[in-house]
Amino acid sequence: MIASSKGLSILLAAVLLTLTACGTGEPTSNSSGNANEKTSETAANADAPAAPADPFGKYESPVTINVGQAIDPTDTSLPAGDTPENNQYTRHIKEQLNVETKIIWQTATGKDYDQKVNLAIASNDLPDLVVVNDAQLRQMVKANQIADLTEVFEQYASPAIKGIIEKTEGRAMKAVTFDGKMMALPNVTARGDAVHTMWIRKDWLDKLGLEVPKTVEDLRAVAKAFVENDPDGNGQKDTIGISGPQAGGKLHANFIASSNNTFGLDPIFSAFLAYPGFWLEGDDGKPQYGSIQPQVKDALATLRDMYAEGLIDQEMSIRKDAAEPVVGGKSGIFFGPFWMGYWPLPDAIKNDPTANWQAYALPLDVNGEYSPHMATPSNTFLAVRKDYEHPEVALKLMNLLVRDEATFDVSVSLNHYPVRIVYAPVDEIEFSVEMLKEVLAGTKTPEELDIPGYKLLASDAMNVKKAKLEPYDKYDIQYWSTEDMGIWSRQYSMFVGGAPLLEPRNEVYSLTYSQTKTMESRWANLEKLENETFLKIIMGAAPIDTFDSFVEEWKKLGGDKITEEVAEAIQE
Amino acid sequence: MKTRAFEKHYYLMLLPGLIWLVLFNMVPMVGIVMAFQDFNPGLGIFGSEWIGLENFEFMFLLGDSKTVLYNTVFIAVLKIAGNLLVPLVFALMLNELRLQVVKRWVQTVVYLPHFLSWVILSGILLDVFALKGPVNQLLSAFGVEPILFFARAELFPYIIVGSDVWKEFGFNTIIYLAALTAINPSLYEAAAMDGARRLQRLWHVTLPGISTTVVLLAVLSLGNVLNAGFDQVFNLYNPLVYSTGDIIDTWVYRAGLVNLQFSLATAMGLLKSVVSFVLIVISYMLASKFANYRIF
Repeated sequence: MIASSKGLSILLAAVLLTLTACGTGEPTSNSSGNANEKTSETAANADAPAAPADPFGKYESPVTINVGQAIDPTDTSLPAGDTPENNQYTRHIKEQLNVETKIIWQTATGKDYDQKVNLAIASNDLPDLVVVNDAQLRQMVKANQIADLTEVFEQYASPAIKGIIEKTEGRAMKAVTFDGKMMALPNVTARGDAVHTMWIRKDWLDKLGLEVPKTVEDLRAVAKAFVENDPDGNGQKDTIGISGPQAGGKLHANFIASSNNTFGLDPIFSAFLAYPGFWLEGDDGKPQYGSIQPQVKDALATLRDMYAEGLIDQEMSIRKDAAEPVVGGKSGIFFGPFWMGYWPLPDAIKNDPTANWQAYALPLDVNGEYSPHMATPSNTFLAVRKDYEHPEVALKLMNLLVRDEATFDVSVSLNHYPVRIVYAPVDEIEFSVEMLKEVLAGTKTPEELDIPGYKLLASDAMNVKKAKLEPYDKYDIQYWSTEDMGIWSRQYSMFVGGAPLLEPRNEVYSLTYSQTKTMESRWANLEKLENETFLKIIMGAAPIDTFDSFVEEWKKLGGDKITEEVAEAIQE
Repeated sequence: MKTRAFEKHYYLMLLPGLIWLVLFNMVPMVGIVMAFQDFNPGLGIFGSEWIGLENFEFMFLLGDSKTVLYNTVFIAVLKIAGNLLVPLVFALMLNELRLQVVKRWVQTVVYLPHFLSWVILSGILLDVFALKGPVNQLLSAFGVEPILFFARAELFPYIIVGSDVWKEFGFNTIIYLAALTAINPSLYEAAAMDGARRLQRLWHVTLPGISTTVVLLAVLSLGNVLNAGFDQVFNLYNPLVYSTGDIIDTWVYRAGLVNLQFSLATAMGLLKSVVSFVLIVISYMLASKFANYRIF
């Protein structure tokens, strides 16, 4: 016994030692961090160029950027021998700017990347340059982790980038301005990403002798026929009317993630003039939260009926991959933005070359209009770590990307550009489709379409005939060549996916696209409450009147306070 | 009594484990203070603002804390019971088998799932329990309407427990089988001599022979009662079953890593630690009493 209590005391001593060691360890590392900060500041001041800065200037001695990279695990576009750290983009950057890319961690794209960035923020261990979302940007500003880019933006941003940002009428700039300082570089996306359209198997419609559904009622009838009348002709009742979101997916986009909600049910909500997740102006002129409006209850009631009748994928939000039934030829309708030609349709066409997926600006709302919710032009941001010696590198990389994007080999995924945020003119898709139609008609030549900003248009014009077969005014699947899938993806997305964007629409914008103070701590819990309630109502696990108690609960748990804050934020 | 010379090696052998324990289990405990702060990563643990019990107040206001605590305990207790009894019964059954070949074969087959991760198994389970999966096909043969298992909150905990027991029982069986081999065969011979039948031998020789092992495993698992299995739940759940399936670990993960609510997540994690601590103390006392298991 004595021996063992001696053992215990040794253990305790060891523990105490370690605890004191780490207790003193932390502040030391902090203070050395501060020291670094000071030296780097002075260094930056000493290096500050007196002459006007060159947005494309090459560094004399090599500059290293440490980045964290999101890599799509299914991406096979890198040629043999190239790596995420050494490919056409990184070599181009090295050659043009003398900037060397170093990847300090990499993850899969999407959720994994977000979590890794969250972890990097929490542990205060950020890469030099990092691409983040709105919530992360706010957190980093609050934690004082990122550099003020106000001056470097003025000095180094190329006219092209300044032009694209200005075109958003201040919205992009507002998203990154905190206390009058520009804390990150905002992206600017084409508004086409935000418009969720109805994708439908036209060959199934033809086979069953149906028209393209115009209203929600038509949609129900068509979905019913898709489920019951065996559109794939295999003699089994195994088809899905309307696909829904996958596990972890969103029923609808919201003001924070306002675009690209593939497989969400957004257009059905819009058809009821319901905009859950968005901030709208009420009759009294004050902001109201979309999810607690009575129209949402109507939309939910209809969705609930449709689900109960088996018209919506019975396994929505449980399936690991919502695209699977589409690829497997088992689903007839889903909702998504224009770019479905990139994914998941190429795989669907490979499995069934007659799968004639077409997109429409439908269903129409009660007024007979198409009223999609729209997005903020800026939803991802490029931030620079606070102590990084060369914040201007962020600008130079983006300048280079925007200038040279069209000259790269398109078969290598642009996601291999070390840090990339999208710069696209807001009307890129609509304008490109119209111009390409002129190319097909022979009224424009590719040379005429070398228009600044529309960086891919000229090469699109050269390639369009490789994918589009005659007659040029018909877009069904048999009038396309799938020989070069890369070109097909882009052109199909433009002509078929982009067609609904040319239709008239009644655009609905959110009053705000970023979080307020209270949201930072409370929003996640309110959102969880909302998702859980809506999903339960639709899938029949809770009665429709749960909606009313949800509204009460939402207000009580901070919703009312947040609504006030949104009102204040808009005043400013 | 002094430390004898040969005992020194044992302390040396203790060292790596001790270092591991301190480094990975004790040093991170400093982070607990985050639960009482409005944690700001830029300022770090020592610079963030103290806000007292505000995080705990919000946590209890949310109502989630009660749900996840209940779910965690419910799932974990069922798992402990299942993982104790099923392998025991199975081991006893295997032990009665005469054919060694069959016994080996069965052993190998049932413990295979133990080596698969939940990431893989969850994919398989989701397919097996899908609307058109084998389970529903089997049920439809009996005229039952297809059931969407993973959308039914009331079924979810049982699927979790059932699949965990299925995955682990083969492995736990081996522990019992090992304990069974330690029983002196002469006891069986003596019992047979006295005219004991098979069931009587099982009851009077086999069970007392392994009872200490059973009690020890039972008591030790109490310390794990709040570990309801992050991997498994995380890979199988969805918002529809949050009400019965969300456990403390998954909640903490979502709050901290997905939603950047570091302090709130820490507060919930601390709640778990406190409850776990109490349970470990209780289980240690029980182990000492029933199984004569002591460290000091």
